[in-house]
Amino acid sequence: MNKELEHQFVTNLEKHQNIAHKICRIYTNDQDSHNDLFQEITIQLWKAYPKFRGEAKFSTWMYRVALNTAITLYRKKKRSIPTQDFDTVDFKIKAEEYDDETEQQLKVMYSAIQELNDIEKALVFLYLEDKNYRDISETLGITEVNARVKMNRVKTKLKNILNP
Amino acid sequence: MDGLDLLKKDWKKREASLPHLSYDQIYQMLWKRSSSIVKWIFVISIVEFLFWALLSVIFSDKHQWELLEEYNMTTEVIIISVLSYLITFYFIYCFYRNYRKISSTDNAKLLMKNILKTRKTVKRYIAFIIISNILVVLLTTYEFISYHASNSEITEPENYSFNLKNWLFMFAIIFAGLLILSGLLLLFYRVVYGILLRRLNRNYKELKKLEI
Repeated sequence: MNKELEHQFVTNLEKHQNIAHKICRIYTNDQDSHNDLFQEITIQLWKAYPKFRGEAKFSTWMYRVALNTAITLYRKKKRSIPTQDFDTVDFKIKAEEYDDETEQQLKVMYSAIQELNDIEKALVFLYLEDKNYRDISETLGITEVNARVKMNRVKTKLKNILNP
Repeated sequence: MDGLDLLKKDWKKREASLPHLSYDQIYQMLWKRSSSIVKWIFVISIVEFLFWALLSVIFSDKHQWELLEEYNMTTEVIIISVLSYLITFYFIYCFYRNYRKISSTDNAKLLMKNILKTRKTVKRYIAFIIISNILVVLLTTYEFISYHASNSEITEPENYSFNLKNWLFMFAIIFAGLLILSGLLLLFYRVVYGILLRRLNRNYKELKKLEI
């Protein structure tokens, strides 16, 4: 039974691992921290898995547990060796697809997101993931109206950074 | 194009560049140790409960009992001890109940609230210990004074004035002791929980702020 549960869980997570990787990308700045957070998300998901009854989709359930891990449960480890900036690595891969101006704009946007606080990052993440305000409010535990108000503030904040 | 729309488009494109872990790599992670804040809070809280409980056991030694018997305070002490143990068990029960409530499947705000609630129980327990100890010290001092007042005859008044000085000295020591203890506790809380809960408190405040 336990083996069956393990298999079921790992298969599900392997399929939906992008969700966790994207959260790691928003909340961490380097590859080591990314891996650390991914591991903690996996552990938390696994610990909570026996309570997952399949009423919701695995991915929906995963958004909540993974975000909770990133915002609340994860304890950042102190690092003595500085690692390469994660976004720089990414931009080297993607650079050729955009013209210079767009590329610059995106770079500014991504670094602006890094400046946001944990809750604002969660809002932006859920927005980028095409979640509606009801999902956002249920994940964070705030009302739909407040989620909307806060999201608009974050959008303005990002716009101002982009067009000072 | 709006900045965020551009970002959304890029965000989807970037999915292709995300790392991909194999089944085995994920499977191995299941058995790694968690370094979650809840685990730390649990360990620190248990240490706190044990520390304070041990402290009261250490202080209630045989000599103290003999002294209390001499001052006819045994009944009071038994009542206070039983009450104190009952209250300690009640706090441990509340702590455990709150700890069990912490669930990563709750919404972010509720999860943070439940974690902070667990901490509050331990804080209240420590406040209870400190206040009850101060009360016990005051009660003992009162009984001590009244015992001396009713059982000793002042035959040489010059000795009495010497005693008064001693009393004042003793009160000063008790006061200084309490002050140092409170200072150390405050420092401990600032350092340990300041580091551990800073992020959680900040995020919880941010979510609470949205409700206004």
